[in-house]
Amino acid sequence: MKRAHRQTCSGFCREGSQSDSRRVDKGTKVTVKESTKLKRLIKAIWIFNWFNSCGFIELVPVVGSRWDMERFGMIIVGSPRHADVLFIAGYQTLKSIKRARRVYEQMAAPRVVIALGACTMTGGMYWDSYNTIKRLSDYIPVNMYIPGCPPRPEAVFEACGKIFQHVEEMD
Amino acid sequence: MGAKEDLEILDKITSEFNLECKVQRKGSIWLDTPTEGFVDFCKWLKEQGFEHLSAISAIDWPDEGTYQLAYHLWSYQDKILITLKVKIDRQNAVMDSVTDVWDGSAQAHEREIHELFGVKFEGNNNLTPLFLEDWEGLPPFRKDFNWREYVGGKYYDRENERERVYYD
Repeated sequence: MKRAHRQTCSGFCREGSQSDSRRVDKGTKVTVKESTKLKRLIKAIWIFNWFNSCGFIELVPVVGSRWDMERFGMIIVGSPRHADVLFIAGYQTLKSIKRARRVYEQMAAPRVVIALGACTMTGGMYWDSYNTIKRLSDYIPVNMYIPGCPPRPEAVFEACGKIFQHVEEMD
Repeated sequence: MGAKEDLEILDKITSEFNLECKVQRKGSIWLDTPTEGFVDFCKWLKEQGFEHLSAISAIDWPDEGTYQLAYHLWSYQDKILITLKVKIDRQNAVMDSVTDVWDGSAQAHEREIHELFGVKFEGNNNLTPLFLEDWEGLPPFRKDFNWREYVGGKYYDRENERERVYYD
């Protein structure tokens, strides 16, 4: 999932290097096939949530039993240092965007940011508010935007499904 | 609560201080107070039972060049609401802090007004903004703060064709 994004959105993910797909063993380089590695990776995805507002309301059912994201191996972790994926939902204020960046910077190198809701794209209904930021990708590299006000759980799964599909189709 | 208590406290205020005050309605008194001796007056009112500072609100009067601060005080004992109204200069907005009188609640209200209107409360030990970190513009709740212009300049790109709708 992570590497898939680095390939598709190479402009966004500058960090990380090619060397982490190789492993040095007694002086000989053993190349682990990227797609193989990725296919393993998408079986266990650790997510850190940074929710400011109503995005949270619609994302709670994703965790809950009805939509149940653990079916896809996705689980919420309590620390950004453990997370592979950062979910950001809702508007970010001038104050919270700083904390969001700090959360993002704490995540280990191959990291994916998924932004939810109209607010993260254009400011949404806060388009003329003086204290909310308008476009999240001006502040944090975003890999995927999910539209909605707020997005339904189905939309979140559709986004995840597209990422999984991309990985599955890799050679 | 009743008209009797209202008049009692009115009598007390007028006998102790030379202030213009009126009963706005039953259980609610409005007072126009000067800035001099304001804190002492607040201390005296607290001794009379007005223990609770519900809110401080600021009203901007750009034509007059003043801010009007309204302190809403509540007496649990007499069930009377007193609103103290003070006018201060808008350009050099400085006011004595009432944190010595009402402590924590005054602290938070004053901090908010400092953030949104730029009123400096002398004696308040922490006036750091609650939300607007690194704020550069005018205090946003001032009436002459044009927030659309501010937002357009700060967040949007005029050159960008797709963002022109935010200007026009």
